[in-house]
This record gives sequence, structure tokens and C-alpha cells, in this order.
Amino acid sequence: MKYFEDVAVGDIMRFGRYEVTKEEIVEYARQFDPQPFHLDEEAAKASMFGGLIASGWHTGAMFIRMVVEHMTPVHATSGAMGFDDLKWLKPVRSGDVLTVESEVREKVEGRRPDRGTVKIESRVINQHGEVVMSLVSLVIYLRR
Amino acid sequence: MKYWEDFKVGERIVLGAHAISEAEILAFARKYDPQPFHTDPEAARRSIFGGLIASGWHTCALMMRLSVEANRREDAAATGSPGLDSCRWLKPVRPGDTLTGRSEVLETWPSRSKPIGFVRRRVDLVNQHGEPVVTIVGLTMYRRRPVGPAVRA
Repeated sequence: MKYFEDVAVGDIMRFGRYEVTKEEIVEYARQFDPQPFHLDEEAAKASMFGGLIASGWHTGAMFIRMVVEHMTPVHATSGAMGFDDLKWLKPVRSGDVLTVESEVREKVEGRRPDRGTVKIESRVINQHGEVVMSLVSLVIYLRR
Repeated sequence: MKYWEDFKVGERIVLGAHAISEAEILAFARKYDPQPFHTDPEAARRSIFGGLIASGWHTCALMMRLSVEANRREDAAATGSPGLDSCRWLKPVRPGDTLTGRSEVLETWPSRSKPIGFVRRRVDLVNQHGEPVVTIVGLTMYRRRPVGPAVRA
């Protein structure tokens, strides 16, 4: 288990594999982001994206799934306060395979003696090596 | 149709409301954020949260839903988002909470290369006690008002 004391600025972690399907793009969009370019292949073709793309918030949800599967079991975290500087850089499409690369940017001691905040920059990368989304998460780590 | 030109700094919008159920919290979390305090009411009771809470990414998804509905009411020519400056989860969201929201335009500027413009706005969701649960500052792109010959009869 990695506690606040165990993470160091510059640490890099690579993890996760998420296959994006058309069915899931549409299902997410119906519930949370019902815009034509997330819902309807024909309408999406006519849009500036040239085809169906995942909601950016859906990419965020797929990202957190990979984090919870691969990082949470081995890092003593207690959720996150939020994030900064989220960028949706490239469309995510059906058939894409996503993975995550995370890098520790900064450790903030804070006032609480039992925990600290770690700023982690994460990049979600597709099968062509293109970064599709990046963000800096403010993750709460417990101390040893 | 509401185009980029029609958004003014300081403009405020009240978003609709959404009552969140335990079933919804569990369904989202089991698919995307399977941590015990989001997926297991018993384990959540023993956690620092004292009960089941929604994934922060679920709260953001609901904010998106309310924002899309507001865009639709205004017939706004929204065309996606390049990202957010910040997002803070301020209070846990629990089953039975009713979330509503408000947004305020902070800044607008046109794209130099495309017939679109950007709007930076702050969006807050609050619960039924008036407590903010999430606050974001994010960007939205809107199409520019078409120029050229008038097509009106």
C-alpha cells in the first residue's frame, strides 16, 4: 500500500485498458449528455466531428474506472477534492482502446495530520498514442 | 437560435432540478467508480462518509445533463467543450438529495480560426439545503451567428 509518504514527485504510473463501444457511448449520452453528436451516428456524421464521439464526461468516467481498478487497490487514497485543467484534446470514438499515464506533480501537506493532497497529472491515451484527455487531480492520500 | 454573440458576461441561468435515487448512485458507481462508499450501502455506513454517496463523476454527469437541458431551452448552438479550468466536489451527494444549479458567464471570446466562439462560465450545483455540492469553471463552444445575405423573406 502506498501512503502519502511513499509517493514522490515525478513518479509515473501506467495502467488500464478500456475498449470503447458504440452502445456504451450512446447509453451514457442518453442518460447524461444527449447532444446529437453523442447519440446519433447520422447526425454526428453531419457535425464538425464527422462521426459519433463519446461525451467528454463519459471519457472522464472511463478514466475513473481505470483508476479505481488499478490505483485505488494499491494506493491509500480517500477520494479526491476535484481536479484542475481538464482538457478534452481529441474525440473518443467507438473501437478506441484507452489507457492511462499518471505522473505525480506536487505534494501538499495541508493542515490535517492524517492525510495530504497529491496533485497527479493524468493523460488518457488512445491506441494511436494520442492523448485524448488530460487533467490534474487533487487526490487525498492517507499518511502512514 | 442563440449564437456565441448572444452570450453576455454576467448573464445568469437557473438550471433544472434532479432528485437522485440510491439505485442511480449504485448503477453509475458499479459501472464507473466501484469504490465501496459508492457501491455498498453497508460498507458506506462504516466509512468516513457515514453512508452511501454519489461518485463525483456522477454529480458532474448530472450537471452536464442539466446544462444540456438549459441549452436546449435556450436553443443555444452549443458545439462541445475543450475542457474545464477547475472542478471541486464540496459536499457529498446522498440518495434522496435534490440537486439544482445556476451558471454565470465569466468571459467570452471568438475563435481565430473557426466560425465558433468560446464561453467561460461558472456552474454550481446545490442540494435541497442550499449547500453547494460541486462547483466548476468550464468552457463551452458555440457557433457564430451566420453572416452573409439575409435569407428572410
